[in-house]
Amino acid sequence: MEPSYRIVPPSQIKTASISDTAGSLGLHDTLHYGIRSIATEMRGGQFENRIAKWEETQDNARLHMLANLYGPSAPMRLLMERQIVSASPHMPGMPQSNIHLDILMGRDETLDPTDFFLGLESGPPLSIHNEMEKKLRL
Amino acid sequence: MSQQSAFSSPGFDFSNSVRNNFLQEKGMPLPKATSTGTTIVGCLFKDGIILGADTRATEGEIIADKNCEKIHYITESIRCCGAGTAADTEFTTASISSNMELHALSTGRKPRVVTVMTMLKQYLFQYQGHVGAALVLGGVDSTGPHLFTIHPHGSTDKLPYVTMGSGSLAAMAVFESSWKPNMERNEALALVSAAVSAGIFNDLGSGSNVDACIITATQTEMLRNFVKPNERVEKERHYTFRRGTTAWKSENIRDLIVNEDITLVGATGDAMDTS
Repeated sequence: MEPSYRIVPPSQIKTASISDTAGSLGLHDTLHYGIRSIATEMRGGQFENRIAKWEETQDNARLHMLANLYGPSAPMRLLMERQIVSASPHMPGMPQSNIHLDILMGRDETLDPTDFFLGLESGPPLSIHNEMEKKLRL
Repeated sequence: MSQQSAFSSPGFDFSNSVRNNFLQEKGMPLPKATSTGTTIVGCLFKDGIILGADTRATEGEIIADKNCEKIHYITESIRCCGAGTAADTEFTTASISSNMELHALSTGRKPRVVTVMTMLKQYLFQYQGHVGAALVLGGVDSTGPHLFTIHPHGSTDKLPYVTMGSGSLAAMAVFESSWKPNMERNEALALVSAAVSAGIFNDLGSGSNVDACIITATQTEMLRNFVKPNERVEKERHYTFRRGTTAWKSENIRDLIVNEDITLVGATGDAMDTS
């Protein structure tokens, strides 16, 4: 994200994208998701975008202020550490926990609803191939 | 290198939103959430804070719970009354309570009311009012007694006496006429009871009993069902059936334990070696 002082995600222009339903060739995967329709391509709207981008926007503002105080190397260093720590050697399908990343992101001493709700919904993934593709694709 | 994002996911799944919009356009109404349609009050007195609440939970026009608890525990000397959607208030206060416990362990200090207020207002602002929780937060910490009110969109007020919920106007009328600074404990408790009772008798969304909670620097006293002005009259006839009303012909008892063989494990003195 480009550096900005925003603490609230900006309201987006409405777009329709096939990124959710795209197969390996980059086109809409009809076999997997059904016939293409604009209604399903439009995502939930302003509210969904707001909560999906919330943490990222706030983090971006903090990093920007950090750059103003200590120079551009400070956020670069933090981002490098995060990237190193995110490289997980585990199978993407299995439930994962990355405590080192939690500590770096500052959520090791807080409890989010996702911490105790999210695990129950999804069992083993429907297609491990897709998960592996997503993981190994740079 | 993994493409996993460093940020935690928001925890909400929007994949049904297209279907829900379609159903709403076709005329199917959204399911009603249990609301608390409430009177909640808070008042500052000489030694600390008194919080008060009614105990009725409604679901549209029906009373879902005649004696629910609206004064939620946050920490030992901080309590929060919740109005609005019952699930939202309960979940939000429970979640903030857990986070406050972790925070207090991390800082090593007694938790402060402003910390709770900030956590709540940031959470509610993030969800743009969709989390329907209107809260009255009060407590005593190392800096003194504090009373806040938090609206579902995230705005807060710091005041010496507050009311929220559908019965807030009735309760506020009582407060405005009788509140004065530095009241004694009995005086303040009587005032809070009067305010909540005003909400109970004059607002349809509030009813049943009055709960109160007195928070001072040294202790917190929870007075559950402090006043019960709406007790149900005892029925004039008895509707129980006497034993033996239904005749039975035969009895067959089947023991689920067919064969029991007990082997003691580890009880022979193999204690843990802690030398």
